[in-house]
Amino acid sequence: MNRLDYLVLIATILAIPLYGLWRTRGSASLGQYLKGDTSIRWATIGLSVLATQAGPITFLSMPGQAYESGIGFVQNYFGQPLALIVVCAVFVPIYQRLKVYTAYQYLGQRFDRKTELLGSFLFLVQRGIAAGITIYAPAIVLSALLGWRLNLTIWLAGGLVIIYTVVGGTKIVSITQRYQMIVILVGMAIAFAVAVYRISPNLSFGSTLSVAGKMGKLEAVDFSIDPHKRYTFWSGLIGGFFLALSYFGADQSQVQRYLAGGSLKESRFGLLFNAAVKVPMQFSILLLGAIVFMFYQFEKPPVYFNEPAYQRAMKTGYAPQLAALQAQSDEVFAQKRAAIRAISSAPPNSSSGDHNIAMTRLRDLEAQARELRNHTKRVLEQAGADPKSKESDYVFITFILQQMPHGIVGLLIAVILCATMSATAATLNALGSTTAIDFYRPFIPNASDHHYVVAAKALTAAWGLIAIGVASFASLVENLIEAGNILGSVFYGSVLGLFLAAFFIRRVRGTAVFVAALLAQALVFILFATTNIGYLWYNFIGCAAVLILAPVFQQTLFRSTDAPVRV
Amino acid sequence: MNTGDSKSDAPDWRKAYGLALSLFAVEVVLLYLFTIRFS
Repeated sequence: MNRLDYLVLIATILAIPLYGLWRTRGSASLGQYLKGDTSIRWATIGLSVLATQAGPITFLSMPGQAYESGIGFVQNYFGQPLALIVVCAVFVPIYQRLKVYTAYQYLGQRFDRKTELLGSFLFLVQRGIAAGITIYAPAIVLSALLGWRLNLTIWLAGGLVIIYTVVGGTKIVSITQRYQMIVILVGMAIAFAVAVYRISPNLSFGSTLSVAGKMGKLEAVDFSIDPHKRYTFWSGLIGGFFLALSYFGADQSQVQRYLAGGSLKESRFGLLFNAAVKVPMQFSILLLGAIVFMFYQFEKPPVYFNEPAYQRAMKTGYAPQLAALQAQSDEVFAQKRAAIRAISSAPPNSSSGDHNIAMTRLRDLEAQARELRNHTKRVLEQAGADPKSKESDYVFITFILQQMPHGIVGLLIAVILCATMSATAATLNALGSTTAIDFYRPFIPNASDHHYVVAAKALTAAWGLIAIGVASFASLVENLIEAGNILGSVFYGSVLGLFLAAFFIRRVRGTAVFVAALLAQALVFILFATTNIGYLWYNFIGCAAVLILAPVFQQTLFRSTDAPVRV
Repeated sequence: MNTGDSKSDAPDWRKAYGLALSLFAVEVVLLYLFTIRFS
């Protein structure tokens, strides 16, 4: 990165919060602080919802995911349009009608206090950790590759977000997310165009797709019913539906975004906008990863994308072993490049037998290249130089830093930091609001409006510090994108079950659904610890367990208890 | 369950949901065709 890059980066990440602070200057009532005001339109809500979900992980990890495993991950989003329609039709009108600040207040009104607190508590635990991962994920990668100090990166990204979120509340989160998302979309479109341009001297766009497809990178839809496959049409549609339904319907970080406008129509349009654009957006980001993969078939890739870890290992006694692996990798790379050139330049009427032999050879070489990378990783582990994050998380950022022109590098680093700030701001805003409304206000019931605004600000700041604390001590178990989704899937099912029971099973009361949710959560924990089923299924299992157990408990154990239904 | 829609709005929203659903179906079909074409 040179001075131009730093100029673009600093100007981009500072200008948006400063504009937001100017737009939200002056004091706000509790309602305005937690729910924004009626000036927020559907486009802002739509972009805000999009930015909250995307986060830095989408832009750092997802291209790397496609580089490694192809674009099948797009199927995880198949349930989302359906879920958003259900949220528009069922959840939003109820929240708007009851004028709640948090989704969990509805549980309190429909069931009882303990169920409200359970939903709220599960949200706080899950999102509190997730906020830490959101800050840590880009910080670990950027600090490793740019030489920035990790803790300084965490504090800079986290500290700026805490300041403007605490000061401006929900309205500033919506306004800043709108412009941050515009920067993100423009930045990713430029990255896509540059990647296609950089590969064009070797392959046309059509040939790039054709060869990438033959190398197994472009299988977007897989109708397999094997439950152990992580990404299939069915797991995406069913598991993804439940994940998205609970995320958009019962996760305060999203609920707060679409209630920000105060109008049913604006909220619904904002959500339907997401239903329309989410799958194409994720597909484009994954396709970018596949194009980066093809780019590195012609431009020699590093033998290990986490270069700092590799360099640390080279300073140990493992240097000769790594040098030998590098030499083998270079040899395989040269053979692969020749094979791809032969395949792409063959005349269309060449015999299919020759073509098949060439493709088999190419796949063999790709398998060898993968094995060499795995072997390198094992050597790095033996040398004690490999961090726990996945190598694929470093692919896209390496491509940005090494292949993009100056200025664009700064813009794309700003994209990653904008995504970090927008997702973190939404989460802190929701954590602060939920703690203030569901936990603090019931214990200090008759204070002034101003008192609660101050309390909400203090709690938002406290959650910011907790998130930074989590980020400072985080060590990742899988790649970044998976960590966030797995965490969500473990908790979301039972929370969604609470809401669906509230909406659709009228005879169920508080104690029955409360116990059912506790048991469902325990069941998901046990399955998570003892089985290896695709994590999206936890959403379905947790939710189904609540919906089955709650009516059974109501009819048996808790038949005569609890007050009648109030909502 | 009262969803908060006025009676006059409900058909318009049903059309909007139908449109969103149709768009999603088209997206899946296009992705499937993309998979067949390039795999």
